[in-house]
Amino acid sequence: MINANLKSTYAADERVLNNRYKQMFVYGMALLLAVFGAFANDYLILIACKMGLLLIAVVGINVLTGYTGLVSLGHAAFVAIGAYSVTIFQNVTAGFIPDPVMIFFAVPFAVFLAAFIGVIVGLPSLRVKGLYLAVATLAANFIVIFLIEQDLFAPWTGGMVGLTTNAPNIFGWILDSKREMFGLIALVGFVTLLMAQNLIRTRIGRAFIAIRDRDYSAEILGISLLKYKLMSFSISAAFCGLSGALFAYFYARILPEQFELDLSLELVAALIVGGMGRTMGPVFGVIIIVMVPEVIKITFGALTGDAAGMAQLRAPLQEIAFGALLVFFLLKEPLGINQIVDRMLRAANRWPFARG
Amino acid sequence: MGQFAQFAINGLMSGAIYALIAIGIVSVFKATKVVNFAHGYLIMFGAYFYFTFSVVVPGQEWAPAWLASWQPDWLLAAKEGLPMFSPMGAVLDWVANLPRILFGLVGALFANAVVGLIIERTLMRPLMGQSIFAMIMVTVGLISIMSGSAQLIWTADAANVPYIAPNMPIRFELFGTMIFIFGTDLVNMVIALLLFGGIVAFVRFTKGGIAIRATAEDSSTAYSMGISVPKVFSRAWVLASTTGAIAGAILATRNGISPSLGLFGFSVLAIVLMGGLDSYIGVFIAAMSVGVMEAMTQWQLGGDWAEIVPYVAVLVVLIWRPHGLMGQKEVERI
Repeated sequence: MINANLKSTYAADERVLNNRYKQMFVYGMALLLAVFGAFANDYLILIACKMGLLLIAVVGINVLTGYTGLVSLGHAAFVAIGAYSVTIFQNVTAGFIPDPVMIFFAVPFAVFLAAFIGVIVGLPSLRVKGLYLAVATLAANFIVIFLIEQDLFAPWTGGMVGLTTNAPNIFGWILDSKREMFGLIALVGFVTLLMAQNLIRTRIGRAFIAIRDRDYSAEILGISLLKYKLMSFSISAAFCGLSGALFAYFYARILPEQFELDLSLELVAALIVGGMGRTMGPVFGVIIIVMVPEVIKITFGALTGDAAGMAQLRAPLQEIAFGALLVFFLLKEPLGINQIVDRMLRAANRWPFARG
Repeated sequence: MGQFAQFAINGLMSGAIYALIAIGIVSVFKATKVVNFAHGYLIMFGAYFYFTFSVVVPGQEWAPAWLASWQPDWLLAAKEGLPMFSPMGAVLDWVANLPRILFGLVGALFANAVVGLIIERTLMRPLMGQSIFAMIMVTVGLISIMSGSAQLIWTADAANVPYIAPNMPIRFELFGTMIFIFGTDLVNMVIALLLFGGIVAFVRFTKGGIAIRATAEDSSTAYSMGISVPKVFSRAWVLASTTGAIAGAILATRNGISPSLGLFGFSVLAIVLMGGLDSYIGVFIAAMSVGVMEAMTQWQLGGDWAEIVPYVAVLVVLIWRPHGLMGQKEVERI
């Protein structure tokens, strides 16, 4: 609960970070990330990069599922499109565009392509809803991965064996270490979150929320379902494409199997665990979804002393933990960690009076 | 033309198995309004249970010898002097395997029914009356839980499982070409069709089936009319997991057992949506036509294109008819 939050101008009321707490939180987090990037060890940097890559995609799926209320189980396809198109673009135009500015053409290309394909995949959303849409997007995911694996496109996509990707080059500064990549990913992730926060403040974002709450009512109020559902699909696909582009830059090689159904489920699971339709939801969700397998890996390694026979039990355990996490949150805390955090903050704010 | 007939028959045979799997998804949906995304993994459990009870258990030392291979005197006498690969020999081999096939099927049925009941009791029932989204996502979480636990439980490599029916080749002439099918595929198709018909008849004519339909229509009214809705829920899950067990056993003999069996469920999910979630007839038509289309694709474009046929088909059908071929259109209040 925020009290004594006086605003004397409309401009102050319309700001993205419309109170001091939010501003301080954002500046504090930016500082924290900078300190983290400078001092954390390589392992932590690697984990943080994984989180950042996933975060950008989860923010995208939050726009679609959390704000617009359309379920998608196929967003890994857009991550794949982002990752492949950025690499293919670089390989094809290597002679025409000088390397130092390549990233400024390749990444927007990938993002726009993902957004465009998002519109195509979103077309069924105008006629089908809920579960039908979930299966339609699932089907789209299978089809996209299948096409990438085809021999027909292998000269560009590399087929089953994947593609070797390039390190990003910003005006001659080659980001070839994980720490430099962390800087880029953290910056982009930060901007993505602010963009999502900005989006729900605007006319478009409020239209999304109206569609989520009752699509027919929204249409009666004059919100064009065609326009806004497709817009939601393209925005979320664009974020996923951006995540894919950074994914391609971060890893040395991309393979079609990295973008299969597992990734789609991971994105949705991170969103549900974190909290749907909240800006910070994806952040909490991604931290949990990435950390739990790592914690299992570390404790398992400590318990069994890395015995060779036991190592093959680890992957199934991680898989079970992932599913159990999703089921647990759906059963016990459907609004996700964000709700728990809200409750704690509220209790702290009201202390020593009423809690909860 | 003969080639066409051969592939059409192959397609119909796999379509029947699709229909058998689909019936589990449709039954659960009709009763509980939940689409089970993890149905493929239920089938995988069925396949692994069939493997356990027909291969692992008879192979143990404490198991009676007749369970692993039944060799009565008349069977040995009949086998005497038969040439290799004769149809009669295939039948006799099957008779020798019969005890463990039956044991495997019965064991798989019971074990899978228990799994279905556990899922219903622990995950689905607490969510009764909650949003459909949460229930569907729970089945999505179930995918990971089931595939992880299958890898934990059945770590050993799965060996070959015995065929459910005598596996003799059947040849006959149609349109001037020899048509060649395996006996076991034919029997699988017959089993699948009989089960499908039996379940449709059960839902249409028996008291339990009427309870399922009443719950599907309006669960709170059904409740107030004295139908125990939770019982209907668990009955639907048992129906799904037992048909899944038989489908799993059949798939285990056709494609071998592996964790990737679970992915099969997604293509069946596409088929179910294509046919219309609550229509047995529509799903049957969709399953058969997808089976045939897959076989045709395999014939014309090669094997790997066949795997996306259900997904392309469902997208086309959903854009043309948003509720599937014969699904009931939802009426929504604003």
